[in-house]
Amino acid sequence: METVFISKLNVLLDAVAQKMELYVPRKVESHYVFERYSVDSPPEPTFNDIRVCTPVKEFLFPLRELAAVFPEPQEPEKVEPFALFGLKACDLRSMEILDKVFAEEEFEDPLYLARREKMLVIASDCTEPGESCFCSVLEGKPYAENGYDLNVSAVEDGFIVEAGSPKGRSFVSAHAELFGDVPDALLAERDERRAEAQRRLEEANARFQLDAPLKEVVQERYESDVFDEEARTCVECQACTRVCPTCHCFYLYDTKQKDYFAKMKMWDSCMRVGYAEVAGGANPRKMLGDRLRHRLMHKFAYFLDRYGIEMCVGCGRCVDAEAGDVDIRVVLKKLNDELRDKDHEVVKAKK
Amino acid sequence: MTANLYQPINGEIVDVVDESPTIKSFVISPEREFQFKTGQFVELTLPGEGEAPFTPSSSPAVTEKMEITIMKAGRVTARLHECSQGQAVGIRGPYGNGYPVDDFAGKQVYIVGGGVGLAPIRSLFLTLVDRIKDFKSVVCRFGARTPEDFIYKNTLFGQWQKLDGVEMKLTVDQANGDWDGNVGVVTSILDPKDVDIANSVAVVCGPPVMMKFVTINLLEYGFAPDSIYLSMEKNMSCGVGKCGHCMLGKFYVCKDGPVFTYEQIKSYPNIWD
Repeated sequence: METVFISKLNVLLDAVAQKMELYVPRKVESHYVFERYSVDSPPEPTFNDIRVCTPVKEFLFPLRELAAVFPEPQEPEKVEPFALFGLKACDLRSMEILDKVFAEEEFEDPLYLARREKMLVIASDCTEPGESCFCSVLEGKPYAENGYDLNVSAVEDGFIVEAGSPKGRSFVSAHAELFGDVPDALLAERDERRAEAQRRLEEANARFQLDAPLKEVVQERYESDVFDEEARTCVECQACTRVCPTCHCFYLYDTKQKDYFAKMKMWDSCMRVGYAEVAGGANPRKMLGDRLRHRLMHKFAYFLDRYGIEMCVGCGRCVDAEAGDVDIRVVLKKLNDELRDKDHEVVKAKK
Repeated sequence: MTANLYQPINGEIVDVVDESPTIKSFVISPEREFQFKTGQFVELTLPGEGEAPFTPSSSPAVTEKMEITIMKAGRVTARLHECSQGQAVGIRGPYGNGYPVDDFAGKQVYIVGGGVGLAPIRSLFLTLVDRIKDFKSVVCRFGARTPEDFIYKNTLFGQWQKLDGVEMKLTVDQANGDWDGNVGVVTSILDPKDVDIANSVAVVCGPPVMMKFVTINLLEYGFAPDSIYLSMEKNMSCGVGKCGHCMLGKFYVCKDGPVFTYEQIKSYPNIWD
């Protein structure tokens, strides 16, 4: 039993919350945040139409955490199983990206792995693309095809729940009494809804579509003035990297506690001026434009070269969060147009 | 349970040597045997204060003690300079690739160093000298701002100059006292006839501006970009290719370096900044 039907969302959420801590979306003004689901006073279940504003990395790699205690090492805090409902395809891809870094063979980050292993991923289809969603530019889809334990699709009068992992399958079989069969007509309806969401997403992003692979766009236009020009309005708030589900820069710092020393791990941002500065004062990226270039090169060229996947999922959180109106879609498009115009000139010159 | 990447092992400072007005060497005894390859680096923690990356300056053949030479440059190094014998420290690592010493076999090794850049070079030098017969010769060109600024003065001005298979020249930017050697920046003692370039490798470590001009000279002399080994200075924080601070183009200096050939990094801008 891998694909099943459930008529009410809260029945599913209650069943999950009986087993483990569960976080669900709640709408705050125009966006969603995660909140703890309480079985005793369950909130009205919300089926989020797009990704929650909170990036999933917060649950795997919190803003600040204890990395090590010494001189006497301490066992890390035991991680209890937990679940997130309402993750989207872009969120799942962001976890695939983070896994490359933190689950890398020989260099595994035990803090990340412990949480990753205990997490139950309950994804859901996007129903309506958000204003800043641009996953289609990166060949993303508004629904998940893998990377979830359970996926929920809204259909007329209920929800289709699909198990995508052994964890998900065992959940479904353990709660078989909650679920019904899925008639083919409902599957067809789901496919139609998905196709419709995809169509709208592509339509909304037609103006950002690129003519060349992303890596080529940023690499070939490395010397472009676009980086400096687009960074001109940046106020260095670093919101773009904070809210990015794939940005994972951090730094380690030391603190003194009452009877031990602690090494802490805290998020950092490559957009910060002192980020790459060494003690001797040298700084390879003093200018904002240099830092914007590095951020995009890291996302679309360096990370791809190293791990075979781009370090961006097109979720558009950075576009929403920007205090300085730097829009990654616009930067990429401008670089793309420069590259296209340059190629045209070359073709013309050859003629 | 995966071992914690961020957990330092405990150690203790057992001796402090004043090398120059701004540089000290710390002899550190780790709580257990500590192995590293020459040119690899460690993250040294001053408990409660902070952590910084350093390449040990001692020979990797010695595993019960390690020497780290530190210039007072920032907050953590300033606090380290205040430390004395008995101070507890933490050590993570070793990290990175180190010098590919085996690849140097049969060749002349042309080592150009300046200032505190002699620290990693000392470890390499001791490693080469231990098996000097494997190399055609070791040719050293070292510089410092003034004679007082040279580190490892005792061995540098004495024993090292007399070793078989080693040829050494020193220079200072500004002479004083009874200095009777060369005066000028380190490039002023480089000469294409110093080594048989086709059968040599160059190792460069020093302040960024020095590395830049030395590299330019070496290329002019005819060194191939892949025979020039550079120790890159970056602010490595995690040491394991995750935190992002030390990125140099696509490379993580902590994991892919800190030793790079010029060939590997020449296409990136600002490599000397």
